[in-house]
Amino acid sequence: MSEDTKNKTVSKGVSRRSLLKGVAAGGALAATGPFLFNIAQAAETSIKIGFPVPLTGPYGSEAKEQAACAQMAVDEFNAAGGLNGRMAKLLVRDDKLKSGEAATRTLELIEKDGADFIAGSLSASVQLAVNSVAKERGKIYVSISQSDAINEAKHFSKYTFHEAMNPHMTAGAVGRYVFPKKGKRVAFLIADYAYGHEMARGFKAAGEAFGIEVVAEVQHPLATKDFSTFLPRIQAARPDVLCLCNFGYDQMNSLKQSTNFGMKEQMQMVAPALLYNQRRAGGAEAYDGVIGGTNFYWGLEDTIASAKTFTDSYRKANNGKPPSDYGAYGYSGVGGLLKAVTAAGTTETDAVITAMENLKYDMYKGEQYYRKCDHQSVQSVYIIESKSEAKMANEYDVFDLVGVDKANEGVLRSCSDLGFG
Amino acid sequence: MSEIPMNTGEMQVSGRRLSDLVKLVARHRVIAVLAFMSVFPFIMPYEALAVNILIYGLFALGFNMVFGYMGVLSFGHAAFFGMGSYGTGIAIVHFGAPWPVAIGLGVVVAGITAMIMGAMAIRSRGIYFAMVTLALAQCVYYLIYQMSDWSGGEDGLTGVTIGEIDLGVVSFNLLDPTAKYYFMFTFVALAVFIFSRILASPFGAVLEAIRENENRARACGYNVQLTKWITFVISGLFCGLAGALNAIHLSVVPIESLHYHLSGQAVMMALLGGMGTFFGPFVGAMAFLLLEDVITLITIHWQLFLGITFMIFVLFFPKGIWGSILHWVSR
Repeated sequence: MSEDTKNKTVSKGVSRRSLLKGVAAGGALAATGPFLFNIAQAAETSIKIGFPVPLTGPYGSEAKEQAACAQMAVDEFNAAGGLNGRMAKLLVRDDKLKSGEAATRTLELIEKDGADFIAGSLSASVQLAVNSVAKERGKIYVSISQSDAINEAKHFSKYTFHEAMNPHMTAGAVGRYVFPKKGKRVAFLIADYAYGHEMARGFKAAGEAFGIEVVAEVQHPLATKDFSTFLPRIQAARPDVLCLCNFGYDQMNSLKQSTNFGMKEQMQMVAPALLYNQRRAGGAEAYDGVIGGTNFYWGLEDTIASAKTFTDSYRKANNGKPPSDYGAYGYSGVGGLLKAVTAAGTTETDAVITAMENLKYDMYKGEQYYRKCDHQSVQSVYIIESKSEAKMANEYDVFDLVGVDKANEGVLRSCSDLGFG
Repeated sequence: MSEIPMNTGEMQVSGRRLSDLVKLVARHRVIAVLAFMSVFPFIMPYEALAVNILIYGLFALGFNMVFGYMGVLSFGHAAFFGMGSYGTGIAIVHFGAPWPVAIGLGVVVAGITAMIMGAMAIRSRGIYFAMVTLALAQCVYYLIYQMSDWSGGEDGLTGVTIGEIDLGVVSFNLLDPTAKYYFMFTFVALAVFIFSRILASPFGAVLEAIRENENRARACGYNVQLTKWITFVISGLFCGLAGALNAIHLSVVPIESLHYHLSGQAVMMALLGGMGTFFGPFVGAMAFLLLEDVITLITIHWQLFLGITFMIFVLFFPKGIWGSILHWVSR
């Protein structure tokens, strides 16, 4: 009896002791953990650029290309000697195309990795999340994905820069090219989310000057496979021009099905964001004759020196494959940032912001600069027309450059429209 | 010769010590959880991940009250998490509410959502209950999605910023990751304590009675329907608190926080850690998020490895990580 109780107390005492041991071991681990990280960090004083992009998910191939192009910009900066010998380093993270994940990854980049700058993202909502985290912590963020919202005063901060074009300027440029040539009866096929509506708004704003008449406005849910219920309504309205305000697979599927419906003979197809990778995936027949806008097409190398330099070095690293439009954003976003670092002579945030505001840079497509009020990159929009199979010289030769909307602040929404001063 | 029995003797002792330790942890579950979580940020790769585990652990804990303790599978818990987030976020962004009010409001909004969803769903059972909760949660998703003036719609709600917190005695800044962790930790600790008290109460015993045999519980005179509804609401309150903390942690409320994918994650975490155990959901959340985080850094095919890990657990450790440990120890 007494033996039993004694045993019990002993066993209890032992376990409590082991618990203490466990706590001590945990404490020791806790003490060494951050210490180890500190050693790793102290060994280098490189300029760190955090780069969250959706490596997994539907835009994975674009994201990988963005990361590869951003790395090119970093390599060039380092090859030129860095910032007085301080080398740059790109930290690529997978944001999985989710805002929450992107916000966590940005916190990781800033708090753990000690990133000096943040660039990247490939979705309107994700870039707003990254921007929110970065601006709160006073880190410069260069967005390389299309969005109208990020220019607006409520999302803007002095740390926010938008390197990509925005839907307003892209759709506007395409509209100004198409409406005088192809007719004034316009129909819209709109993917029902922020980006789709932003593009449609851009077209309508540009169309006002030409007196366009909207004859049909059809919305479809995101990621629609079957467009056969939407297309007849557009056909019945007999438009001269059909604006496809959608993106990625939606764009490809709607084009394929409207080609089968014989709609191309009746109207001009227009896609404001006509993507190089999507065109190559979708095939020449579906895209034949479609007019659209882009920030970059490798064919620019014939006329623009900086485009030639960019495509040549990209080809050298990628078995002769030319770079894509979204990949190029990665190059110019990070490249422009590093140019500003060089100009400022420091990585100190305020000095770099001033340098970026005063920067005139030509990374890959002609001169660009950041507008003072909203830090939107003012740049040329190129108008392209998709080639038919017969006219293609090789598998990469998919577009004709048919026009350009030169870099001009006038095509952007005015600072007062965006809510500034 | 004589060395061999001595060795086995020693091993037995250390084995007993280990099992005593685990039993001790199981007995003082709240203290054990809190002790572990207070040193937790130092053993994690970075603080933001530790905060994530804290928040998702609380979310899975709340979910486990319905799933593990009452034995009802809900696929709608993302709605509570999301409404907690949006309640807090909208209070801060649109009304400039102080943080205690905002968090309280988030929890209340989640609770009201749970009351309404519970009232509609509680009469169905089994897979039908799962489907009804899923459908109702999707209704909440689209409602918030369409209210884009308030919620930001697809872009999510941004600018949920608190910054400096002054409590009179202490003041700290939430931009400091360690301070943020302990700020969140305080709320989670309180929630874990309340949760444990609820389970230890007679009400908690009724829950388990319903799980084991609903008809018998009814025959004993318990109002099964009402108990189920109350449990659903309490579970919603815990998940709402997790959501409210998440809004402050990320400073944004992404629309994904209402997506059914998140409801699925709660099921995964509870299963991975061990359903119906107190510590299990936290272990599950930690294993899930840590694995995902570490594997993502190594390969872009992280889903493959994560999937294989889950398959191994489902096949060989059906009780989950913590459930299996408890099982081995009690053998």
